[in-house]
Amino acid sequence: MRTPVGLGSSSGPEQDIRRPSEPPAGRSGPRRRAPLLGMRGRRALLPWVLLAPALTVIGLLLLFPLGRIVWLSFREYRLRNLVSGESEFIGFANYTALLTDPYLWRIAMVNTVVFAAVAVLTTIVVGTLVALLLATLRPVPRVIVVSCIMVAWAMPAVSGTYVWIWIFDVDNGVVAQALGSLGLVDPSGHNWFADRLFFYAIVTLNIVHGGFPFVAVTILAGLLTVPRELHEAARIDGAGAWKRFWHVTFPVLRPVFAVVTVLSTIWDFKVFAQIYLMPGGDVGGSRMLNLGVWSYVRSFGHNDYGLGSAIAVLLTLLLLVITVFYLRALFREDEIG
Amino acid sequence: MARRRTHEYVPLPAAAAAAALVLTATACGTGGGDTSDTDSLLVWIMQGTNPDETGFFEAANTAFTDETGVEVEVEFVPWQDAQNKISTAIAGGTTPDVAELGNTFTPGFADAGALHDLSGYGVDTSQYIPGLMEMGQIGEGVYGVPWYASIRSVVYRSDLFEEHGLEVPEDWDGLRETALALSEAEEDMIAFPVPGDAQYSVMPWIWGGGGEIAVEGPDGTWTSQVDSEGSRAGIGFFTDLALEDGTSTTGAVNWNEIAVMEAVAEEEAAMAILGSANPKAILEANPDLEGRLGSFTLPGREGGYMPSFAGGSLLSVFEGTGDEEAAWQYVQHLTGDEFAMRWAEETGFFPGVASGVDEFSASADPVLEPFAVQLQEASRGVPVTPAWTQVEAEKVLVGMQQSILNGEATVDEATEEAANEIERILNGG
Repeated sequence: MRTPVGLGSSSGPEQDIRRPSEPPAGRSGPRRRAPLLGMRGRRALLPWVLLAPALTVIGLLLLFPLGRIVWLSFREYRLRNLVSGESEFIGFANYTALLTDPYLWRIAMVNTVVFAAVAVLTTIVVGTLVALLLATLRPVPRVIVVSCIMVAWAMPAVSGTYVWIWIFDVDNGVVAQALGSLGLVDPSGHNWFADRLFFYAIVTLNIVHGGFPFVAVTILAGLLTVPRELHEAARIDGAGAWKRFWHVTFPVLRPVFAVVTVLSTIWDFKVFAQIYLMPGGDVGGSRMLNLGVWSYVRSFGHNDYGLGSAIAVLLTLLLLVITVFYLRALFREDEIG
Repeated sequence: MARRRTHEYVPLPAAAAAAALVLTATACGTGGGDTSDTDSLLVWIMQGTNPDETGFFEAANTAFTDETGVEVEVEFVPWQDAQNKISTAIAGGTTPDVAELGNTFTPGFADAGALHDLSGYGVDTSQYIPGLMEMGQIGEGVYGVPWYASIRSVVYRSDLFEEHGLEVPEDWDGLRETALALSEAEEDMIAFPVPGDAQYSVMPWIWGGGGEIAVEGPDGTWTSQVDSEGSRAGIGFFTDLALEDGTSTTGAVNWNEIAVMEAVAEEEAAMAILGSANPKAILEANPDLEGRLGSFTLPGREGGYMPSFAGGSLLSVFEGTGDEEAAWQYVQHLTGDEFAMRWAEETGFFPGVASGVDEFSASADPVLEPFAVQLQEASRGVPVTPAWTQVEAEKVLVGMQQSILNGEATVDEATEEAANEIERILNGG
């Protein structure tokens, strides 16, 4: 909604720059008009001008809310403050309360980190396997398979989650009936949503199902750039499929894997709808919440927006740290290699 | 100019709602202009277990526009989203002019200063059902007036009772025997679902066993009696129907009141705790059940009546919209004789005006009679304190009920935890 404002304000200077830079491309000569800025100045300015629209959008839609969350996390902010708009600075009180809450360490943090680790690993492995399969297919079957997996990707999180809940419905779900008819579960049924492991197993299925197509397609794009000669040489040297993947494909595609891993990590840390909509995923004291849902429940259930924001800040910091460490490790390996 | 009246409410994704919160957190208190300038009102009405309401609002709004020249736009908000949606609207300065608020929400929003004090308009508070009216009053202020009352009793399949020669039960043992007989006679049906996600179906058992949810001491401290002997007996009896007697189903752990209602409508459940507006909604969903539904008041432990939660809604006017006066006129329009009675007839809820309850129950469908008795003889409310909203939002009683039904905690453990949690919240912890 605010995008047009940002775009509009930056279109002016952009045009000013583009006009004088056109003539040198066609013909350079003494008749050139006096430039608005020196050559060097223009060179330095150009990237910023080109970045301006994106930065404006990011600033309005990301940095402002982020700053607002940080600000909120240092204040006592409840329903009353929401109405009056006034609030009190309380220093690190929200953070102290958060970090000394056993729920953070026993439930929310464990759920978030363990789930994200498992989900990222599974997504990458499944995505890679599908990409390897796709790379061996002829063009027509490949288009068909890619279209099929794209359907999974295109499914909105909310509808996808309801489908999984329906599949695992305790009384009438497909899984319950299949297991029941095989005699594997008690005929009276089993409420898997109440079991933390089962609950997160279903969430993992949901997330991997929604996340692997992106990984598969991205890695497929990378796979197609790996020179054939490398594989042929490895095969002549007697390398099996695994060795060829691990010693040839993987090193070449390391940057691609880095990107999909970082992105998947970020997505899987902040999973929301897929947990909140599950039975038991929205109960305040439930053992099923992750940091994102907990932040929401604290904010809107308790009407404690300060503490809710503190949880959100913690989640953001956690993600920043993981991303920075990961990228550093990656670049160090590159330098050695 | 085309009139826009009824709109379906499309739930906002939570993320967008949260973004709206942070983007515009201080932008409240818009308007404040001249009240005579009001040319349209925005009204939020709750949606969920009641029958289709669009026809009613078309009529009511046309009448209001003819009378005052003010256009009214009604948006329907699902009950589950109501609290979050109102909070984000307050943050974003996009509150409606009038909203239907569940009676348990009203004190919280009133206390926070979000609602307009109606006491200046000379409201006669004595004409309303007292239990509902008290939820709208804080000190001298009036922050909402009762619109309708809803009460929960038991809805059952009268055709099945007749077929198997069953009588309406008069005490807990009778209820248990009836449920057992039903589950034996109708193997494919759920005799009496024990839902996990429906706190108002749990409350009667706390009161029926002799307990209280929470009582305020002379020093203002709240003590919860959810873990008292009486409450435990009631909760234990109710959950044992599922755990020991098998009259429910495992999946009911995740059911809310809507799911229970659907189970009856789909002829899956034979008997269930439901609200007075549900029979109508059930018949709307499944006309085949016409004439095959009956109801009875919740039986007491040793006979008599067991208290049930008297829910209902108040109509409140939001503060700072600039249209408070016209909004109050609209509230009077809906709670006035004509439309209050028409609403009751169309939905099966009881009017919020005390004299209307008698008038309505004398004329209403016989299936509603036990509900009227329940409302007048055995109805209770939740603790009157602004903090109660948090107990509901955090789903403390739901968590308790689900952990018992899932076999994760005994009745003693779960009730003790719930009692501690309720005390912590009500005492501002």
